[in-house]
Amino acid sequence: MSRVRKDPRAERVARTLSETGRRPRLDLGRREAGPASGRPRRDPWREWAASLAGESDTGNGRKRYDRSQRQMNRVEAAHFARTRDGLDAVDVSPGQPALRVIDEPAFLVFAVVAAAGGRLSRFDRQVLGGARLLADAGEGGGAVVAIAAESIEGLGEAGADRLVVMPRASTQRERAEVLKAAVDALSPRHVLFAEEGDSADCARRLSVALGEPLFPDVEHLTARQAVRAIRNAGAEIGLAPPRLMTLGEDRARPYEDVPCEAREIEGGGEIASPDPAILSVEIIPGDPAKLALSETDFVVSAGNGVSDFGAFRDLAAAMKGTPGASRVVCDAGLMPRQAQVGASGTVLAADCYLALGISGAPQHLQGIAGCEHVIAVNTDLHAAMIERAGLAIVQDAQLVMPALLNLLKEREA
Amino acid sequence: MTAAAFLPWLIVAMVLVAAVQIGRRVMLWRAGKTARVDWLAGLKALPRRYLVDVHHVVDRDKSASRMHVPTAGGLVLASGLLVLGLVPALAASRVYWAFVALAFLVMGAGVVLEVRRRYPRALPRLSLGRWQRLPVHLGVFAAGGLLTALLAALGNPLPALSFVTFLAAAAAGLALAGTAGTGPMRHALAGATHLVAHPRPRRFDPASQKGEATGLRPLDLDAEKLGAETPADFAWNRLLAFDACVQCGRCEAACPAFAAGQPLSPKHLIADLAAAAGGGHARPYAGMPYPNERAVGGAAGLDAPIVSPEGLVHPDTLWSCTTCRACVEECPMMIEHVDAIVDLRRFQTLELGAVPMKAEEPLAHSRGCDEPNGRPLFERTDFAAGMSLPRIVEKGEAEVLLWLGQAAYDLRGQRTLKALIQTLNSAGVDFAVLGGQERDCGDLARRLGDEATFQRLARANVETLSRYRFARILTADPHALHVIRNEYPAFGGSYDVVHHTAFLAELVESGRLAPASLAGRAITYHDPCYLGRYNGEVEAPRALLDALGLERREMARSGKRSMCCGGGGGAPSADIPGDTRIPDIRMGQVKETGAKTVAVACPQCTAMLEGVTGDRAEVKDVAELLWEAVEAGRRTPAGAAPARELQPA
Amino acid sequence: MKTIVLLSEAKNPVSGRQQPSRLEAQAIGLAAGLDEAPQGLHAGSSEEGVAAGLGHGLGGLDVVETPAGDDPLPALSAFLRRAFAGDAPPALILCGRRGEGGLETGLVPYLLAEMLGLPILADAVAIRPGEAPETLVVDQAMAKGARRRITVRLPAIVTVHPLAPPPLPFAFGRMRRGEVRRHPAPAADAPAAGTLAGERPHRARPKLMRTAGTASGGANLHVGPEPEEAARLILAYLEDNGIRRYGPA
Repeated sequence: MSRVRKDPRAERVARTLSETGRRPRLDLGRREAGPASGRPRRDPWREWAASLAGESDTGNGRKRYDRSQRQMNRVEAAHFARTRDGLDAVDVSPGQPALRVIDEPAFLVFAVVAAAGGRLSRFDRQVLGGARLLADAGEGGGAVVAIAAESIEGLGEAGADRLVVMPRASTQRERAEVLKAAVDALSPRHVLFAEEGDSADCARRLSVALGEPLFPDVEHLTARQAVRAIRNAGAEIGLAPPRLMTLGEDRARPYEDVPCEAREIEGGGEIASPDPAILSVEIIPGDPAKLALSETDFVVSAGNGVSDFGAFRDLAAAMKGTPGASRVVCDAGLMPRQAQVGASGTVLAADCYLALGISGAPQHLQGIAGCEHVIAVNTDLHAAMIERAGLAIVQDAQLVMPALLNLLKEREA
Repeated sequence: MTAAAFLPWLIVAMVLVAAVQIGRRVMLWRAGKTARVDWLAGLKALPRRYLVDVHHVVDRDKSASRMHVPTAGGLVLASGLLVLGLVPALAASRVYWAFVALAFLVMGAGVVLEVRRRYPRALPRLSLGRWQRLPVHLGVFAAGGLLTALLAALGNPLPALSFVTFLAAAAAGLALAGTAGTGPMRHALAGATHLVAHPRPRRFDPASQKGEATGLRPLDLDAEKLGAETPADFAWNRLLAFDACVQCGRCEAACPAFAAGQPLSPKHLIADLAAAAGGGHARPYAGMPYPNERAVGGAAGLDAPIVSPEGLVHPDTLWSCTTCRACVEECPMMIEHVDAIVDLRRFQTLELGAVPMKAEEPLAHSRGCDEPNGRPLFERTDFAAGMSLPRIVEKGEAEVLLWLGQAAYDLRGQRTLKALIQTLNSAGVDFAVLGGQERDCGDLARRLGDEATFQRLARANVETLSRYRFARILTADPHALHVIRNEYPAFGGSYDVVHHTAFLAELVESGRLAPASLAGRAITYHDPCYLGRYNGEVEAPRALLDALGLERREMARSGKRSMCCGGGGGAPSADIPGDTRIPDIRMGQVKETGAKTVAVACPQCTAMLEGVTGDRAEVKDVAELLWEAVEAGRRTPAGAAPARELQPA
Repeated sequence: MKTIVLLSEAKNPVSGRQQPSRLEAQAIGLAAGLDEAPQGLHAGSSEEGVAAGLGHGLGGLDVVETPAGDDPLPALSAFLRRAFAGDAPPALILCGRRGEGGLETGLVPYLLAEMLGLPILADAVAIRPGEAPETLVVDQAMAKGARRRITVRLPAIVTVHPLAPPPLPFAFGRMRRGEVRRHPAPAADAPAAGTLAGERPHRARPKLMRTAGTASGGANLHVGPEPEEAARLILAYLEDNGIRRYGPA
């Protein structure tokens, strides 16, 4: 998210108390209610409270704070929310996290989530986050309606007030028809999609079916405007958020406040006649072992610290990950060249990277820059990979591999 | 009538048979494209080219020159004498036959030396098959001729025996003559004609700079077909060159790709090209196969595509080449392997778009934004933020124009350039850079066969350079140096280009720099191919290193016969897999010297050698070593021992 | 199978020079598998960049010369209507996800499908002729390497996904030989709109960072745990973050 520029003139106008007389009078001590950008201001007190890890057990009454800059745990957030006034939060039952309930929304915002594999992806959360932003900013308060093919865990936490479960459609044309029926029935103020795969396709079909313009691949979304690039990124247009939008990946913050209720409501249409042009549809699941590194979501990778490559391949297969390797390993011919991760090999777009015995040369780290989760197993505490990792284990990868294999076997049984 | 009296007629018959065979081969050469050849100058220069240039190369392998001089000399002498024997008066003279016997004896001695190279086991680089049988044929011919002539000289005491020996000589001699067009003896006439009609006569001219004979020639982009697809697309004197090959395998022994187990052997390639032109006969090749050989269909013919999985040469062979010219440097027959490879690549790239997938990316960037790495031109000088780096656009003119090249985008290359810039500043050199107006020199595109992109870049760069006034172009990149110095003149830009090692050596010699001594450190110097072999500059960097007081240890392969780092010719982009990597082999050679530092003078070499993992020598550019010494010289108080005076090399 | 590839006016992001869009070049590659000489179709004012499509494998190129900034849709639909009414109607129209250089909404293929009454499929990574005549089998890219294999009745419009095979490398000779046919634009209903309301120079905005700490809480650095403990930690991390689920489903 980028910073909104200060507009000194606008600020001056806002502070003008009276323009009568020869000189305008300004109220320089005035505190702004909220930043014009709509971007929430940091509340250090709240962050500080959230990072409270517990009282020291040495008995001197000193508090212990976790300053690792982790995102605030949602349970803690809810706990915290109860202690602050001005937030529309209620306790559902003692011990349960607070729930944010919007009973009578002034308007609706649709968020179409793909939820591949029945799980919200990072991108799905971002779309819900964008919808939440638009719903909260509108006058009277709107509600976010998640549009999904099934009920999904975590929709409330991701900011959905309502859920409309769509009937399973076998083709995209049918899916768009059903969605159009829902739009006709519930008249949302905005419909937000992810600019990816079926969602992007559905957005365009809906736009054509409704005869309404689509504002695709939004790069910057605030309550007041949506901005997207045009003409080969040579120019951009900013408009008040239009009705149909697709959101670019990593462009909107996911919602991380008090969970919403994600109550299921009616609204999905019926599937009309099947599409006569589509003769057959078949889903072929991806096999992580054979996937290209550039496409997979989970890479299990071996470096210098791995010597048993038979076991490594077994492990990658058992973990349902795509095998990768460092340059040294590929140079030595222990893994094929296609498996090489890094600036001179493949630059990954995976969600998770498990680095076994890889110290993390700069070129290698460039290759995993886009990975959200990195797990490092390495004997060197000071390796760059340990520093980069979300879970770092200082241990010999050769010892951890059989332990992992055993544990996976136990789980299978 | 004695048996000996038939010997002159045998020679006549052999000449006739050989003439027919060679005539058929000449018809093949004539199917090639026309080439402008100065026959008179070539003929005049032939003795010198043969006795000086060829001998200089052959003599690197003493056993070869010792073998060839008596064998060829004896054969020519005996044949010549025998033709004189057609004069009846001479044929009656026993002294004459004694001379003939002596000539055959000389030849026989040569054959014995050749046999010792091949039996019981031939040197691994030599071809077997017909080449292994050649000394047998020559030996039988020489022995038969010797005995026949000797018996004649002795007054023909054993007529029956002399007929037997004559028949042996006749059989062997006619067998040799019969294969003069397709067999090993083809090299004799093809080799001599090749020396006369060589496609690069400048390489024999002692007065010309080495680079003049190594630059690639521009391709006419309006031609019907771009590059070479079939043998008929080569100029006739290049087809002739392929026939001159003696399969001695010196190129193979020098080839870095062959050593690394990539599917390339220059010898095999030239033999394949000769076989491709010959068409009808599949390749009777009896040398070492291409390492990790790829299966090919083997279709051949004057109009059959050469490089294709169905043809004679697999594309991977073509893209394994680093264009290091080690093969050309070693070739006793003066064959230009790299020219052939680039011509074949041009067709693949320009007509078929059949570049290796990984090489397409830098080519696409070169087409799209004038830099193979896809970075904006204006970022080229970003590394020098905070340094004094004048732009020529601000000054309008400068004594020296510093050509930064691709190294400016690479963290490691930037270290070298920073050292160079600081050195130039401290020596008070009046220099400037083009900054955002410098495009890639086009070396990579050209070596990968993308002549269209190269010519566009060359014209654009020449146009840019024509706007400013400067005396010399200075560069730390031998590839840029070679291209600008030797290949831009064809596009209207002739410049005095100097490599940073030579320029810095000048500065030290003229006393504009006062480096301290770095004595006590052992280093070895790795010659960049495009500086040493392509441009003959091997002394300036060594003189500079010596002036720093460093203990210089030479690797077994150095100077013009140095081994490639694997970084040239787009080979790293093509990335054809082998058994090992070329820089690993080179680093092993560095290790053998025991030096802890290897001095380099090329950003490609730096990148390739630094890519070697494990325990290895430190890689330092000559400019970095000099800057270290200059800085040390500043710290030492005046009057302390200065570095040794620069010795003129 | 006669195939037409729609081409837009992409620019090199670094130099700003016109060049073929990568996705459209990939589309040409897919088309070349079905049609020996796939034809390009472009509506616009300049052919400098699209002509390079010939070098990537197009057999010929039709350029409808519309004024710069004009909506290409009327020109494209008029041309395609004529093509469908002609002797050799196209069976397949391929295009990128979004045309580059204009407004880049990605709506053009969908509007064309609507106007021409054709089915449209998005995100193809592979295409081949179906077993029945006049059908096409399209593999669509889905998340995590999954593919959706759809058999569609032709003619159809298919957009191409970036995971489709890389484009055929550019060949200068092929471009030189390719034929470019120019056509006048149909009479425009409305004059070109020049620039849009609210249009301004583009400002690059940073994306959200992807690196995540341990969302599951607890210390994330474990020095020298027992291998069994390490294995347990790794699986727990993967499952907590929803990367994989292990054990009997």
